Amino acid sequence: MTGYILRRLAQLLPVTLLASLAIWAMIYAVPGGPVGAMVGENATPEQIQAVTERLGLDRPVLVQYGAWLGKALQGDLGLSLQNRQPVMELILERVPATVQLGIAAILIGLLIGVPIAILSALHPGSRLDRALSAWSALALGIPTFWLGILLILLFAVELRWLPSASTYVSIFESPGRAIMSLLMPAFTLGVYVSGIFARFLRASLIGELHADYVRTARAKGLPERDVVGRHVLRNALLPFITIVGLMLASFIGGALVTEAVFTYPGLGRLLIQAISTRDYPLIQGAILFILVIYVVINLLVDVAYAWVDPRIEYG
Amino acid sequence: MAEPLLSIRGLEVTFRGAGRPVPAVRGIDLDVAADEVLGIVGESGSGKSVTSLAMTGLLPGTAEVRGSIRIGGVEVTGAAPEVLRHMRGRDVGMIFQDPTTSLNPVLPIGRQVTEGQVAHGLLRTAEAPGRAVELLAEVDIPDPAGRALQFPHQFSGGMRQRAVIAMAMAGRPRLIIADEPTTALDVTVQAQVLALLRRRQAATGAAVILITHDLGVIAETADRVAVMYAGKIVEAAPVAEIFARPRHPYTVGLLKSLPRLDQEARRLVPIQGQPPTPGAIPSGCSFHPRCPIGAARERCRSEEPVLRAAGPSGVAACHFTHEVEALLAATPEANAAVSTPRAAPAEPLLVVDGLRVHFPIRRGLLRRQTGLVRAVDGVSLEVRAGETLGLVGESGCGKTTTGRAIMGLIKASGGSITFAGQDITRLDAAGLRAVRRHVQYVFQDPYASLNPIRTVEEIVAEPLHIHGVYDAMGGAGRVARLFDLVGLSRTMLGRYPREFSGGQRQRVGIARALALEPRLLILDEPVAALDVSIQAQTVNLLMDLQAELGLAYLFIAHDLSVVRHISDRVAVMYLGRIVEEGTRDELYARPVHPYTQSLLSAVPVPEPGVSGRRIVLEGDIPNPASPPSGCAFHPRCYRATARCAEEAPAFVPYPGLATRVACHHAGPLTADELPAAPAANEALA
Amino acid sequence: MSASQRPALVAARRVLARKGAFMAASFLALMAIVAFLAPWILPGDPLTQNLRHALEPPSAAFWFGADELGRDILTRVVYGARTSLVTAMGAVTIAGLIGVPIGLVAGFYGGWRDAVLMRLVDVILALPGILFAMALIAVIGRSQLAALVAVGITGIPSFARITRAQVLSLRRRDFVIAVDALGGSASHLMFKTILPNSWSPILVQVVILAAVAILLEAALAFLGVGIPPPTPSWGEMLRTGKSYLYEAPYYAVLPGLVLTLTILSLDTLGRTLATVLEHRQGSTGEPEPEGQRL
Repeated sequence: MTGYILRRLAQLLPVTLLASLAIWAMIYAVPGGPVGAMVGENATPEQIQAVTERLGLDRPVLVQYGAWLGKALQGDLGLSLQNRQPVMELILERVPATVQLGIAAILIGLLIGVPIAILSALHPGSRLDRALSAWSALALGIPTFWLGILLILLFAVELRWLPSASTYVSIFESPGRAIMSLLMPAFTLGVYVSGIFARFLRASLIGELHADYVRTARAKGLPERDVVGRHVLRNALLPFITIVGLMLASFIGGALVTEAVFTYPGLGRLLIQAISTRDYPLIQGAILFILVIYVVINLLVDVAYAWVDPRIEYG
Repeated sequence: MAEPLLSIRGLEVTFRGAGRPVPAVRGIDLDVAADEVLGIVGESGSGKSVTSLAMTGLLPGTAEVRGSIRIGGVEVTGAAPEVLRHMRGRDVGMIFQDPTTSLNPVLPIGRQVTEGQVAHGLLRTAEAPGRAVELLAEVDIPDPAGRALQFPHQFSGGMRQRAVIAMAMAGRPRLIIADEPTTALDVTVQAQVLALLRRRQAATGAAVILITHDLGVIAETADRVAVMYAGKIVEAAPVAEIFARPRHPYTVGLLKSLPRLDQEARRLVPIQGQPPTPGAIPSGCSFHPRCPIGAARERCRSEEPVLRAAGPSGVAACHFTHEVEALLAATPEANAAVSTPRAAPAEPLLVVDGLRVHFPIRRGLLRRQTGLVRAVDGVSLEVRAGETLGLVGESGCGKTTTGRAIMGLIKASGGSITFAGQDITRLDAAGLRAVRRHVQYVFQDPYASLNPIRTVEEIVAEPLHIHGVYDAMGGAGRVARLFDLVGLSRTMLGRYPREFSGGQRQRVGIARALALEPRLLILDEPVAALDVSIQAQTVNLLMDLQAELGLAYLFIAHDLSVVRHISDRVAVMYLGRIVEEGTRDELYARPVHPYTQSLLSAVPVPEPGVSGRRIVLEGDIPNPASPPSGCAFHPRCYRATARCAEEAPAFVPYPGLATRVACHHAGPLTADELPAAPAANEALA
Repeated sequence: MSASQRPALVAARRVLARKGAFMAASFLALMAIVAFLAPWILPGDPLTQNLRHALEPPSAAFWFGADELGRDILTRVVYGARTSLVTAMGAVTIAGLIGVPIGLVAGFYGGWRDAVLMRLVDVILALPGILFAMALIAVIGRSQLAALVAVGITGIPSFARITRAQVLSLRRRDFVIAVDALGGSASHLMFKTILPNSWSPILVQVVILAAVAILLEAALAFLGVGIPPPTPSWGEMLRTGKSYLYEAPYYAVLPGLVLTLTILSLDTLGRTLATVLEHRQGSTGEPEPEGQRL
């Protein structure tokens, strides 16, 4: 299995490096280049000269990239243009909020989605299945930002039960307040996650329920509970894990938009603010940070796959 | 007489899906006594597998079951799920066709073998691992303690099926239902598994229902036989009776359309037409459109016959049972297309010399090459104009790779291929294209080898277009004439492949291969995917075409009976090499290589009581990535000596015969090598 | 008997025979027609401001109400459909025209071509789609074209990967090997045999990606980095409408409803298409979720 993980890492590494190169290079595509991005369009030649020297822009291109990457690997992503704070600090400040939102959303999604998937897979084509499939279509189709607005309209504007803008409160410090402020954003994102589970876990389960070994398990006289629980579920996880990997990107994208709807102070909002203020070091840093997180989660998905499938070890 | 173990009365199974209800089983009665082996034989779509699933209540929800099935006095139809569950695994064990898919890939074998008993409360969880080892030992799995912890992908096909048998036998059921248990296995492995099944049946006294399309397996395993056609039993009788004096025209048709290992070549007599699909069963006697007796008779068309006593202890459903005997005796008109060894023409058309195809195995982080799969490792053969060379061997022996390498579809790693005096391994793309006009390929699976989105006319015309000779060779008229040639109606030209049956699709594949007027056809298992009656039609067509067009065939197959029927000369492959090659008659009458001898002895013959003496090879076919040293066959060989493990034998002529053989100890089979009696045979297994 | 009809016609009829898919197709057709004919069937203009009517609730004059500048929301929703339609068609065209050939070449030839092409495609996949689009827009600036191109580029990997997977599986199929055996050239194999058999999954992907493109464009506009105002865009309307939730709740609700119905219709259509086409090829299950990314 270690070999398999190493091999996957070896595949991911060049792509990650290429992507980081693209992120680094994007600043050169900005009007005025990196200097223009730093000092604005009305800068004096002296200012430009100073910045060019300070940033080492007179060095060969690859050397500049190497220096940038080397610093980034040590956690130095440069200074934000807005408030001169280290980019890394700004990012790390926002990480707990986003992590808390993501985990809450996944929990809600699991809680709604997994029972739906199992229920409808056991009765495919039934009225129940059609009703539950409608849920998954709606959950995946409704734009996160519109669902968020509807929830705000209902719970904040009409009923006035919950605040319309969320703040970050750590669940460990004040669980009650944390849940109140998380409720709407986590549900908004969780609905989407539940749709992923309801649709794709159902499909994997139905595919596996038709497999020959399921017939064998029934022929042995296993109770249906064991047929599904021991035989089907574990095999169904394999295609589903692959899909989870593919849907990861959309989950991160969804988190970004959800934060914007509820003005939730996470990584996504930081990035959107950075883009609107053209804070390029912050943009680069945030995107690079998300890239690394994304790659790491992808690797974890691979580990999960290898862990479930005994064939990987030998293949 | 006590109630039989299994008693079926008036069983009907209808599938109700989105469209019209489809009747799969249309009213059958069946009894099986304890300690009896009942064979159910039938072609695809006859309802034999549906019947077996109905017995254990494993049919999908869309199936509607009527009638009565009683197992050990308990009614199965309409029983509560819990009742059925208690019956399964405890009273009834099941063995399915494909051991690769019928085992769960992510659970250890040992656990799968015993979990049914644990679920039934017959085995404590703590004792399960020990019991699993015992059960695996009972089915001759070596190192059962280690194997019990392994996963299915670490087992060979034969071992998987043995594990499935262990699983089915775990609860000492009184009834075992085996649905095509050896169809997915090679013939030498099939012999092992059948011997094992017989031994375990004798040891436990269980009744067995053996469902198969293979009359040879039936003849040597079953006590009694039921023949199914279009969802009904058309004949049932003790095994000796049904093979000696069948009472239904369909049974006669099956027997006469079968190429035989134990008989001189004769022209096969196929059953005309196609088997009916469950959705469109003919009126009256469902067999009448294909029946030589009933085709023209009003009574057969309008009135459905019932099963009546026929013969000493059988039943048959035919209005004219008394005429069937004459049908069996009738010999087909003498036909020139019966394969008789021809005088060999001087010039060989295709000469393959020392052909090697090696695939690299890459492993690790850097995908370094760590080994070689020697799929083809030094194959030499010749095909002369107008003759058929049969290339026979078990799965993984490299026969298909050989065919594809000759075709240029796979690059040869070494050796030479000469076609009509021209070395084609060194040709450039254009040269190879020119040669391909003269060498064409017919595939095994007629469902996969035709482009689904083209009409069959476009498919047959494609080679003409590719070589830019569509107009030169007669265009649409040429395609229509090719249809005539292979016996397809011109009215079918505009249809798509999915509208054709398997046998018809194979005819389309043959028409496409003939379009460019080739001189050599490479036929890769062209009849393996077809039902017996359709197989006979296709074999006859191929032999007629050869006689008419003077084609040479390289006929690749695993079925020794078909190869014997169609070939002039035969080459036997094992692990990438040809071990023996000779004329058809000599090779089948006097095989001198131990592998050929055991292969021939492993084929079940459709004649009860004939094949009692059998060499059952031990073990499985080795992995071609790590072939045994010396002679690749030595670990399974009954003549192997120390020399065989060290030195690979050369492929040389055998003195006194026109046979070439690669063996240090070649020679005819001696009496003491063949097990004396079936009892010894079982001891060997 | 219609058995010998062209497979495409058979598939189309079987898709429309399903109630859900028929309703979805009808809704989309209606949207497309209304969007196309907007200048002739609507009395007003989406850009005409009339501050006297600012934030007026729905009435006979303003069926969907009026926005903060007194523009008719219904008119803007209809013109927003044009924006969505143009973005979807443009983005899918870009993604398909680049992605399909990449997948075809990578899958057919394998080896180093495969490695290089697919690694390049993976770079696009290395970031969530919306992030990639935002980064791209941050560099090239906000415009309708920028949004369209950004969304299109994020769709390339889905087409490339699906085409490649299809080519790889077809490459091993007997009927493709048969053409090879007949002496068919590489281009004959690719364009006459493999590609015509690959349309099913590609077509499904076109429909799914159209939904993703519309969603992505709306999301970018909602985040304030998409098509710049005053061009009517559903996402932009939601963004502004969110500021007036207390005064004019209908403002954000109605454009969102139309957007959701459009996405749901495309999703239904795509899934039905996948079911119908794949049943013909003997497999089941959901369409590949590739590209279902926000």
